Amino acid sequence: MNGLRETALRLSAVVDRDWKKFRRNPVVIAMSVLMPIIYLMILGNSFQGKLRGLPLAVVNQDSGPYSRSVLDNLRAIAAGPRTLVIRAATDEAAAVAGVRNGIYKAALVIPPDFSKKVVLKAGPEVGLFLDNTDGISAQALRGAVNGAVGAIASDYVPIRERAYEIHLRDNNLYRQVDYFQSLVPGVVIMSIFLGAMTTGVFNIVMDRFVGVEEAYLLTPLTKTDIVAGLIISGLSITTAVAVLVLAAGVAITGIPLPGSVEQYALMLLLIVLATLSLLSLMFAILGRARHPRIVGVMSGFLNVILFFPSGAMYPVASLPGWLRGLARINPEAYAVSALKAVLFKGAHLATVWGDIAFLAAFTAVMMTAAIVLFKRTL
Amino acid sequence: MSQIPPHPAAVEALTLTRCFDGLTAVDKLSFAVPAGTIFGLLGTNGAGKSTTIKMLTTLLPPTSGTARVAGFDVIRQPQAVRRHIGYVAQMLSADGELTGYENLLISAKIYGIPRSQRGSRIAQALEFMELASHADKMVSQYSGGMIRRLEIAQAMLHRPEVLFLDEPTVGLDPAAKHAVWQHIRQLRKEMGTTVLMTTHDMEEADQLCERVAFMHGGKLAAQGFPSELKADLGPAANLDDVFIHYTGASVSAERGDYRDVARTRRTAQRLE
Repeated sequence: MNGLRETALRLSAVVDRDWKKFRRNPVVIAMSVLMPIIYLMILGNSFQGKLRGLPLAVVNQDSGPYSRSVLDNLRAIAAGPRTLVIRAATDEAAAVAGVRNGIYKAALVIPPDFSKKVVLKAGPEVGLFLDNTDGISAQALRGAVNGAVGAIASDYVPIRERAYEIHLRDNNLYRQVDYFQSLVPGVVIMSIFLGAMTTGVFNIVMDRFVGVEEAYLLTPLTKTDIVAGLIISGLSITTAVAVLVLAAGVAITGIPLPGSVEQYALMLLLIVLATLSLLSLMFAILGRARHPRIVGVMSGFLNVILFFPSGAMYPVASLPGWLRGLARINPEAYAVSALKAVLFKGAHLATVWGDIAFLAAFTAVMMTAAIVLFKRTL
Repeated sequence: MSQIPPHPAAVEALTLTRCFDGLTAVDKLSFAVPAGTIFGLLGTNGAGKSTTIKMLTTLLPPTSGTARVAGFDVIRQPQAVRRHIGYVAQMLSADGELTGYENLLISAKIYGIPRSQRGSRIAQALEFMELASHADKMVSQYSGGMIRRLEIAQAMLHRPEVLFLDEPTVGLDPAAKHAVWQHIRQLRKEMGTTVLMTTHDMEEADQLCERVAFMHGGKLAAQGFPSELKADLGPAANLDDVFIHYTGASVSAERGDYRDVARTRRTAQRLE
């Protein structure tokens, strides 16, 4: 039919224009691939699963053997898991002042009668002054010091096996996934978000801003041509970038490649659907924006409310109820969970079809809203 | 003054009205543009010219009244209107990040020109606008006059019956301006296109337009042949005098808002 051919031609005009412009901007292309990889590096190193290198001031006023073994245990922690770095302090006052001034995260004071009280079982105590404004560090240090002090007590009171004690034995269902690797699906989603933000609706807002839109709206292009055309070009660009980011993330963090074609196909499908969800969501929200700044502000906001409760960094199950409610309608949460399942557990279609169905439905709803809300006139 | 046009009307406004937040920008405007003429819509900033053009080109829905363009109703058949008109906006609409050829190629696809004809139509349009040797240059490197000519080529590619030009020579130097006029005349002559243009420039209106209409405060103040309108005011009158007579162009009557002025200046700046 002639009408169909003309529609295809009009769509291809919108797509072609966008592609050509994107290709002419090598800086944008390089940045869209590099930025998510830099995110991976920064998130992986700044936001570790376990804390490291927290400065702990130690004031040992005891000359007995048990304070020495507490110190030995602390040194072992400093050398092994490296949770803390031991800093010697001259006296209690200096150590506490150091915590107040932010030089140390905590100060441990072992009093003069510590070893004696351990021997006499007279309730030995150590003082731990914590910078409790930094809750995460304080908690980690309390745990480390507890371990170091507790270990000498177990020396003294040897644990005896008792028949009624329950022992835990871990049974890992899957291959070990380290923190760095666990970030890869989230970083792929971030690259999709970045792509959805800089293609699609952004082009229409930019055209509107510089005044090109007026000439565009005067042509036989329909609302659907404009919205669908920009979503198609945004989809192709973003999917290509996201696949590159996934490949780079897998290579850098050393995730073993999945064995079957099904997993590759599923990952591609998930990337496509996540991209469509975000592109159409942004079109629905920003379809009428007149200034590129609105896109900037809105993107920053959307990124936070979609990414942090997505399960990319922190399990959704641990979120408070209302935030879990948000996660239930958050396309990024479905995409992250399904990508993790496929990438780390080798999941099949049967496992992730629910996520796929949600993303497809979300896209359909948002795309309809985008086309309805988009104004064909000025 | 109100005479029956000798040709069927290519554009016919019928009590066209548009209000913005209580302000009537265009007030029951009726006029007809005979097919095959170059028609000038003149008036001060804020007289309602741009709003009228936007309604005639389906960019803005009228508050009341309607118009027929190339035989189609702008309210009921907007898509048909769009197929039969070309438009050169006051603001730059050619894409600076694409070459001249690519700009035309995208227009050709938008208007559904089949692949077999695309190449020859584009070549012809480039030739006609004397841009053939610059076809593969990025539009961001074009001069102001070249950009305007490219935009006219783009608007003409699908051979529209009516071509709308909103301040086509704003910001152009005299040589570029004369070149654009020359091309507009030639278009009308060779293809019989009806041209409806707005301008502030009375020299432009006098040189180019066979018929003119003056708008003032959203209403039609006068219309007719430039020669008649001038003669009405006296033997030595020029079109500037006619403009001032009908639009009472005094400072208090200037209704052009910040946006209008900013846009014109921006366009002029980019054309430098």
